[in-house]
Amino acid sequence: MKKNIPFFMIVGLLLLANIKVLAQEKIFNANEILSKVDDVVNAPKDQTIKLKLILIDKEGKEEVRELIMFQKGSEKRVVKFISPASQKGIAFLSLPDDIMYLYLPAFKKTRRIASHIKNTKFAGTDFTYEDMEAKKYSEKYIPELLKKDESHYILQLKPKDGVKTDYSKLIVWVRADNFYPTRIEFYDKSNNLYKVMTREKIEKVGGYWISKESEMEDLKAKHKTKMIVVDIKFDSNLSDEIFTERYLSR
Amino acid sequence: MTHRVFLLTVIGLLLLNFSCPLLAQESTGSGVTWNGYLQTDNRLQLKSDNDFSLQEYRLDLKTEANPTEKAHFYSEVWLRSLGFPTVQNSADLVDKNKISPLSLDFREAYVDLYGFLFNNLDIRIGRQRIAWGTADKLNPTDNLNPDDLEDIWDFGRHLGSNALKASYYLGNCAFEVVYIPMFTPAVLPQGDWASVLSSSMELPAGLTLRNLTDTIIMPKNNFEENSIIGGKISNNFFGYDFSLSYVYGRDDLPLTRKVTFTPTSTPGEVDITSELIYPRMHIAGIDMAGDIAGVGVWAEAAVFFPEEVKMVTDLSALGMGIQESIALDDKPYVKYVLGADYTFKNGIYINGQYLHGFVHERGKDNLEDYFMFGLEKKFFNDKLKIIPIVGGIEIKDFKDIENNYAFILSPEIAYFPVDNAELTLGIRLIDGKDTTIFGRLKDKDELYFKVKYSF
Repeated sequence: MKKNIPFFMIVGLLLLANIKVLAQEKIFNANEILSKVDDVVNAPKDQTIKLKLILIDKEGKEEVRELIMFQKGSEKRVVKFISPASQKGIAFLSLPDDIMYLYLPAFKKTRRIASHIKNTKFAGTDFTYEDMEAKKYSEKYIPELLKKDESHYILQLKPKDGVKTDYSKLIVWVRADNFYPTRIEFYDKSNNLYKVMTREKIEKVGGYWISKESEMEDLKAKHKTKMIVVDIKFDSNLSDEIFTERYLSR
Repeated sequence: MTHRVFLLTVIGLLLLNFSCPLLAQESTGSGVTWNGYLQTDNRLQLKSDNDFSLQEYRLDLKTEANPTEKAHFYSEVWLRSLGFPTVQNSADLVDKNKISPLSLDFREAYVDLYGFLFNNLDIRIGRQRIAWGTADKLNPTDNLNPDDLEDIWDFGRHLGSNALKASYYLGNCAFEVVYIPMFTPAVLPQGDWASVLSSSMELPAGLTLRNLTDTIIMPKNNFEENSIIGGKISNNFFGYDFSLSYVYGRDDLPLTRKVTFTPTSTPGEVDITSELIYPRMHIAGIDMAGDIAGVGVWAEAAVFFPEEVKMVTDLSALGMGIQESIALDDKPYVKYVLGADYTFKNGIYINGQYLHGFVHERGKDNLEDYFMFGLEKKFFNDKLKIIPIVGGIEIKDFKDIENNYAFILSPEIAYFPVDNAELTLGIRLIDGKDTTIFGRLKDKDELYFKVKYSF
């Protein structure tokens, strides 16, 4: 009997551990996963990020752009170019309801961005104006869970009716442990894979997950834009005034 | 010589100005920056023995500082070598300004005070460009700064004005009030364009002209005569940006109000002297911009309420008395622009504008119609921009288009070999009837080459 005591204890412990694992492994549906992605990506009340963009052509030649980005919540974002000199001062404002403005210092004018511009390249990068807007994926896309493996959920996102976008669908790899999206495939209207964004160096800074290095690759043009976080501040109580036309031209 | 010493002094001060902020920037991290660009612009006429029509080497220098969150300083100057040597005799060879003409153009210099007195109030004091209107470069409501028509192809270029601008923000609504103490006339183009933009005068039968002289009568140097005021309200409704504006100012192009004929000793020959003024006017404007089914659209209109200007033709020295007519009547007239642009999925961008009333036109019966258009596409990751179609069509009389049209075509290629560098090669082809503005320049086709490097 005495010999059997350790055996039962081990079995019991294994059963307990198994129950714990089962309890942890809640099955999320696609909507819940996407909602968690939005929560993680937009978790900070506000963000001030200095970014370095490296544009890499198919021959490996590089060009560098520097910009500063302010974001409040999930819907307001301002992006201002610091360099190169030819683009210094160009500023972009993204507001809810697909409203975007562009300030062009050479003309001393702020122009509203018409929807035909939204799918064009943002200052020569592989990001479009649409890619640069602040948004919640769950408000624009209908998710479908394609696959779940040990480390990732793989979601297919299709635009909701009435959403203006040039993408027919997105395939998003979401880390299972923290719901941070690590890879996004963008498909054009003909359903061809068009661009791929990968996010690396995903770290927790100030309690929030952030990718310190990401890359957008245009497969057709064989051109890449690497986005590197140079400096970041969270929750510094950014004023709403920053996200106005008034601030854009400053 | 004095002029050159002045220029060198200014350059020295600018360099000193730049170097100190740079040191400050390194040591304190303050937000003082300077940048600018170098631009060369050479134009060659394709007819007229391949004359050079323009040669400009421009160094643009901008300084910017944000000493505090609530203050901002900005300045921009152009140092230019513009034009050609003007030496005519050996004495001129000691004058560098005649050998190599240089000029300093003080474009802007202002300070912004944000949240001045009230949190929602910003003021800007100093020489500044106040660009109103939603249309593309040709803006009927853009009437605060004087036109700078030195280079007529640089549509929309204006001088800066010494002004005070106050902007008050209330939600999406913005109120702007502008006060410009001193009226400044427009800069007129040189050469062929000067005669094209000015009105012609017919001599009475049998007379020939010996000398023509004119006198510009500037407004009196006081608040009532000289000042320009303006106001604008902007808001957003149903996804469209709208603004209403008002300006009490002056037409910045001169208008002849008196012509005096004086006979010379040669029978049938006369000297003419004329007086020109800048008429006062009220201008009410409205503009909008938005998006219809994915197409960017804009519209802009200005109603001009000019003062009546009588024209006196003094022929008394010829024994023909004094005649009076109306040079500018006080009937309101409207200039407007309707425009749209679109980017196709393949990256081709098109832009079109219909314009009623060009910059120099005034009076209800003198406004003509223009169609401006452009098509461009970028290649090789924006390294190359080809603009195969860009230009305009002028229609002076829709009832007789065949004899009253002109067009300009200006295809262009721009190449961006490295960051901040732009090389542009283009050609400007003009044709049309002599009754039109552009048609009178049909022999002035030109090739141009520009290089711009930003730093």
